[in-house]
Amino acid sequence: MAGSLAILSALARSVWRDLRTFGSVGGNNLLLFMLLVMYQQVQSGAFFLIIMSVLLLGPLSGDPFRKIPRDRLALWPLGVRERIALRAGSLALSPVVWVAIVFLFWTGGWSLGLILLGGAILMQVGGGVSTRWREGRPWSPAVVAVPKFPGRWGGLVRKDLRQMLSVLDCYAALVLAVGGWLYRAFGEKADPDAFMILALVVVIALSTYAQALFGLDLPWGVARYRVLPLRGFEILLAKDLAFLCIAAVLVAPLAFLPGLAGALVALAVGHHASVTRPAPQMRWRFTGGTLWPNGFFQVVPLVAIGVATGRGSLWYLGLAFLAYFSSLWYCGRIWDRERGSTI
Amino acid sequence: MQFGGLKAVDQASFEIPPGRICVLLGPNGAGKSTLMKMLTGLLAPASGEAMVAGLDVHKSPLEVRRIAGILPESLGLFDMLTVEEHLHLCGPIYGLSSEETRRRTDQLIEALALENGRHTQAGQCSNGMRKKTALALALLHNPRVLFLDEPFEGVDPVTAQTIGELLQMSVKHGVTIFLTSHILSIVDRLADWIIVLRGGRIVWQGPASELKGTLEELYFDLVEPLRVADLPWLGPSQS
Repeated sequence: MAGSLAILSALARSVWRDLRTFGSVGGNNLLLFMLLVMYQQVQSGAFFLIIMSVLLLGPLSGDPFRKIPRDRLALWPLGVRERIALRAGSLALSPVVWVAIVFLFWTGGWSLGLILLGGAILMQVGGGVSTRWREGRPWSPAVVAVPKFPGRWGGLVRKDLRQMLSVLDCYAALVLAVGGWLYRAFGEKADPDAFMILALVVVIALSTYAQALFGLDLPWGVARYRVLPLRGFEILLAKDLAFLCIAAVLVAPLAFLPGLAGALVALAVGHHASVTRPAPQMRWRFTGGTLWPNGFFQVVPLVAIGVATGRGSLWYLGLAFLAYFSSLWYCGRIWDRERGSTI
Repeated sequence: MQFGGLKAVDQASFEIPPGRICVLLGPNGAGKSTLMKMLTGLLAPASGEAMVAGLDVHKSPLEVRRIAGILPESLGLFDMLTVEEHLHLCGPIYGLSSEETRRRTDQLIEALALENGRHTQAGQCSNGMRKKTALALALLHNPRVLFLDEPFEGVDPVTAQTIGELLQMSVKHGVTIFLTSHILSIVDRLADWIIVLRGGRIVWQGPASELKGTLEELYFDLVEPLRVADLPWLGPSQS
């Protein structure tokens, strides 16, 4: 039993370290937006809080055994009983179980507590099965299925799309967009302005990524960029195309032009931080940027230009394009000068 | 090249004849990688100039990168792309058509025995496979000059032999190769031209044919003497 306890304690340490990596959410623009909404009306922010919590807890509540190399686990002299005990004990490491316990023993929400407990067991079993199934295969078929784009930068755009699809920002934006699409399809007397606002909220959910376009390339991928015969603006453009593809797909059914204007502004502001002060990012976490000044100066003009475009003035869309291309040119020059040595 | 008060590379002046394999030798921290970075335009020298195939590295960095194949120290691979996808990504960037990129990818994968890892993401590849992928990327666009930082480090003997043969074949086609390595037994067979670096300065350079003894002897004479320390806590010697 001592062996199982030692393994569980190592797993607990690992879960604790994992929890700390979720701190990146503290620099995410969606959090900033949620706090602003909650400041106005606490209940309105609850929806965003639930989305972020579910996305944050999901990756942590999978199979904790995937943290142990399979060969190593097989080499440990553990009997069947010990393995069963280990499996049962590892359930206690699931954050969903912690939430379930709160409901079961403190708040008296028995039914919700039991549902959460059942959910945690299902997530662990599902995680275990998927770990087995994925062995030796790429870790996410959905992400790998991204097709190659044509042209000189096609391979780069595919790689950048994959990277973007492996951060939680995308999935938060997807949930928000799907909510908006359903509202548009089934909502009675839906307010047309609401779609524009929803499109901009989707772009806000994606916008922090624009501050960290090289975050998932660090450290080795940046070395490849440095030796490729590409100018800075080409490297940034490939990344921006990936960003704009995802933003366009999500906002098209809501309000395309305001969403596009917002996305261009998010990129225009984000380029500078991406090139001069990129922060390394982790997959399956929210992108961690800086709320001040980058996040603030992304969100405010993004909303302002998006709303102005939505109100029918396409001049503002032109302004967004102008800001975008100026930033692309300027930050591309910074890259050419430094060749990523600041990264 | 200077980092703070430390001169990483000082007064390094040399010219490599085209179509040769030049090996840069030196202990850790001698300035080999710094020199390699200066020659590929990744670091700017404090003074002096670097020319590659007649091009000034700092005035025409993109042109140099177009004609050069570079194996960087860190390999420069994207964790989320497979071996094959890396090659498919880089071909068009160097102006190859999709069809030509696919053809060369197949040939390089076969030549470097990468078939098993073809669809494996770089993040999940072994060190040897990653090294071979980075080498394939350096060779893909048929460069005129190859800069290889430690190409034999961390690969098995068969792969090392394969890489060596590939390099010799490239030289026969007129490619100039500049490489760093610690594996003297391999580079002894390959080198046409040798540069030995110590403390950022060139302490010996010349054609390999002018070597009086073996490369190993030259290295230990010029760079650092062999040190064998006894460890008393290992107990009395059995022989």
